[in-house]
Formats: sequence, C-alpha cells, structure tokens
Amino acid sequence: MSDARNLWANRLRTDFRAALVVVALLATVPLFVSSPYTLGILIVSIYFALIALGWNLLAGFTGQFSLAPAAFAMLGAYTTALLDYHLKAPLAIGIPAAIVGTALLGFLLGRIVLRLKGPYLALTTLSFAEIARVIVYNSHNFTRGDQGLNVPSLMQSRIGYYYLFLGVLLMALAGLYRLMRGKAGRFWLAIRDDETGAESRGIPVVRYKTFAFALSCAICGLAGSLYGTFSQLVSPELGLLLQTGLVIAMVVIGGMGTLTGPVVGALLVYLTSEWLREFGGIQLIVFSLAVIVFARFFRAGLWGIATRR
Amino acid sequence: MLALDLFVNGLIFGLFYALMAVGLAMIFGVLKVVNFAHGEFYMIGAYTYVLCAMKLGLSPWLALPMAAIAGAALGALVERLLMRPLYAGYGSWNIMKDEYAVVVTFGLSLLLINLVDKVVGPYPYRGPPLIETSRFALGPVMMNGQKLIAAGISVALLVGLALFIKRSLWGRQIQAVAQNRLGASLAGIDATRTTALIFAISGLLAALSGALLAPLINPSPDVGAFPAIKSYVIVVLGGMGSIWGAMMAAVLLGVLESFFAVYVSYDYRDAFGLLILILVLIFRPQGLIGEKGREV
Repeated sequence: MSDARNLWANRLRTDFRAALVVVALLATVPLFVSSPYTLGILIVSIYFALIALGWNLLAGFTGQFSLAPAAFAMLGAYTTALLDYHLKAPLAIGIPAAIVGTALLGFLLGRIVLRLKGPYLALTTLSFAEIARVIVYNSHNFTRGDQGLNVPSLMQSRIGYYYLFLGVLLMALAGLYRLMRGKAGRFWLAIRDDETGAESRGIPVVRYKTFAFALSCAICGLAGSLYGTFSQLVSPELGLLLQTGLVIAMVVIGGMGTLTGPVVGALLVYLTSEWLREFGGIQLIVFSLAVIVFARFFRAGLWGIATRR
Repeated sequence: MLALDLFVNGLIFGLFYALMAVGLAMIFGVLKVVNFAHGEFYMIGAYTYVLCAMKLGLSPWLALPMAAIAGAALGALVERLLMRPLYAGYGSWNIMKDEYAVVVTFGLSLLLINLVDKVVGPYPYRGPPLIETSRFALGPVMMNGQKLIAAGISVALLVGLALFIKRSLWGRQIQAVAQNRLGASLAGIDATRTTALIFAISGLLAALSGALLAPLINPSPDVGAFPAIKSYVIVVLGGMGSIWGAMMAAVLLGVLESFFAVYVSYDYRDAFGLLILILVLIFRPQGLIGEKGREV
C-alpha cells in the first residue's frame, strides 16, 4: 500500500515541479516582451489558467463535472463591480468579497447538487449558469444589463498586472498542491473513483464534496474579479456557455486531473487562438475539433502524452 | 381572447419542442448520456432547409426531406464516430463515461456552430414558408399558415414515431435495448445497429423541427442553443429517457411558458424553464409524469 501511496505522491510532485517550471518561464517573459498587447494576451491566458485550475479541481480531482465555471467567474467579477457601482466600496473590499461571495454560492450549489451525478449534475450546473447569466443580463436597473459595468483599475502598469496574475496563479498552484498532497486530496480522489466506496470507508463525502465546490468556485470568482479590474469592464458575456466550453477544451487538451495540464492547456489554447485569429476566425473550429480528438484518443491530454512511459 | 390564443400558441410550440425532445430522450434512454449537441442537429436541419430552398432552388416541400436526411446522416455519423466507445467493448472506459460524453458532445456543439458560422456566415437567413398565406383567424385564434402546417406535420411525425416504437420490429428492438442492452443482445438483437438507428431518428426529428421552424425563426449558427435548453428541461420534466413523458412534458412546457411570458415576465421566460429543471432534478428526479419513466 505504501508503494501505491508513494507512486501517487511522486507523480504529484513531478506534476507540481513541472507547473513551477511553467510559472518560472512565464515570469521571465517581460524581460523579452514589452509590448502591452502581448502582455495583455498573456494576462488573459493566465485568467483562463486560473479558471481551468478551479474547474479541474471539481471535474478532474473530485469527479464532479460542473458546467458553471464561467458563470462563477462572471459572478465574481460582478460582485466586485456591483460593490463599486452601488456602494463605492474600494477594491480592497471588493476583491475579497468576490472570493467570499462565490465561495458561498459554490457551497450552496454543492449542497444542492450533492446527490446528482454525471448527466444530471451537468444539466443542473448548466441551468444554474444560464439562470445566473439571464438574471445579470436582464436586471437592467441593478447591473445595467448587457451594457456592462465599469470597474476601477488596481494599477496602471501592465507589467504589474502581469506579475499580479502570475503571483495568484502560483499561489493557487501551491495551495492546490498542498491540499492534493494531504488528506483532502486523497479524499477527493477517492470520491472521484468510487463515491460509495469512499463513503463506506468513512470518508465524509458530503463535507469534502461541498468543500471542493466552494474552493473551485472561489478560484473562478477570484479570477473573474481580477479580470474585471484588469479589463475595467464586466459584462454578462463572461458567463457565456462558450467560455465554459473554452475552459473545458483547455483542461481536456492539457490533461484532466493534473496541475500542469490546465495551466499549459490554457496558455496553449488562448495563445494559439490569438495567433489563429489572424487567419480569419478559425480558432474555435480548431479547438473544438482538438477537444473531440483528445477526448476520443488521448484521454490523458498533453500531460499524459508527455509522461507516458 | 388572449388566454385561448396563448394556449393554442403554447400548444403549437410544445409540439415543436416535443420533436426536439423525444430524440434527446431516446438517446438518454439507451446510453444514459445527454447529447449536448442536440441543438446543433436542429440548426443543421434549419440550414439545410434554407440553403436547399434558396441556393439550390428546390421547392420547400423537397427541401424538408433533404433536411431530414441531413439530420439522420449527422446523427448516425455522431454515433459511429463518437458514441460507439461508450458501449462497444471499451471496458475500462466505464469510470469516466459520463464525462467523456459531456466533453465530446459539448465540443461537437462548438464545432458545428463555428463550422457553419465560417462556411455559411454568421448572418441569419430567413427560409421560404411551405405555403404563402397571411395571418388569418381560426375561430377566435389568430393563426399563420406556416405555423399551422408545421404543427400538423409535427403531430403526424409524433404519431408516426409512437406507432413505429410500439408496433414495428425496429421500434420494439429500440425498446428492448433501452430496457436492457445485454438482455437484448442475448435475444439476438443487434444492439449496435439499434443505437445507430436511435441516433439517426433523433437527428432526423431535431433537423425536421429546425426545418419546420426555419421560416419563423431566421436561423443563425447559434440558433440551436435555445431549443436545446428547452429539450433538456423537457427530458428532465418527463422523466429522463421516457419518450411518452417527453411528449407530454413538451406540450406542458410550451403552454406554461407562453402564459409565463405574458403574465409574469417576458425577460425571464427562459430562466423559468431552467428553474423547473433544477427543482425537478432535486425533488423528483424520476420526472413529473411518474414512475414509468424508465420505460424506453
């Protein structure tokens, strides 16, 4: 048994180190690139990497296939924006409020969908996401609907923003690594592989499932909130199902149930899509095709291909 | 009379919803997966109809069967290329089966939307109606010719499907595979071929639904999202996988929505259906129609 345990711990350590290498490489990018446009693209791809990590915690590690990550990014962004718009709350309150708010909502959603599995869970979270978007879109008096809301910026410097996003990504990776290495991670994987079995061995399934939901949604909410301050505009489009589709594509291409996979997948998909944009909007065709091919033939994603023995 | 008008209109939309939803219910019945690309079958049907009628100059009555063929072919293709691993031998896949189905059908949905967007263009097209009429009064209800004919064809298709499933050999094979795939195989039924048939029927019905509505809705590449979400609600409401449940739930949802849009809130009419979906899944997962939900 201790062998299996060490095997998993080793795999996780390799995985985490690879993710650290990716972050380190990203940290050197501003030495070579100074164009604000390129940095902006990198910032958005790190935003997607954060959501991908959050979604992967639910889908890849805990086996709860939610279709609401983009909705939670939208809700996080709107929490910050609405606090500023209605109450003139500073960002020092607005951003933590986004984390807490989405964590609470995620906790609630986790409680609600506790008994649902597979397609039932996917449909319920999809409905939740769409309802949230429809409400934000239609509450013209409260959210200004599809006009969106303006958000104050945290700082002027692009490079500052870049390192802020990178720092948050690093913290998310380190935090997830710590959790995955410890009891929580083992419990999540056990729930993913066999929920009934996990319950029968005394794992508090309810508690750990809702914990995964709350944490995952909080990561998405934080990403959305930061993205709102970066782009200085939040709109209901953040919560489109298409965005969730992109996040799923990133994680599936990078490798589900790993730490490096979602990050690399997000960078790869978003940067390539910016590049493909020059060839006339074929990026979504390429990625949806890629996600089908990966899901069908390379189920472990790029990370699985890279580490295959 | 507004209420009667709303009722009849809701009923007609319920029929279109039913065409969409029974296919989804049949797929869920045999494979226990939700086809998230179902709305794109509808979209492909609408586009085939419009393009055949406008670009090839076919009569709308010929364009309709073309849409049906396109939908059936697409359904069969999806089954052959993407769904077969779910049941044909790939034993170790069981553990992530649901996830695979969601990812693949979600990806397929994005692929088809963007492919059509790129090839045909993002602008909405308006299809030619099956017959040219102006609005006329049918008793106390205002009606338009296309809607009436489309509703008639939908009823014929639904009745035909019901008879096909109940009476024909293939229909009985579908029932058998939905009840117990292994048992059906042991009894000599080709379960693989039956599953392909189900996907073809499902694609055909969704495509016809799109084609019949094309003159009323101006199809654009993302036109399928809306009816797809309706069909999820209906399939859940009718008891996942039950064809009869789906038909009844579709009509029910059509009528309820049409009243909700007028008397409660037009903006939130879509959220209303989704709320029903969540509530049913949590409190009555077998659906509203009853315990027989597992039959087909």
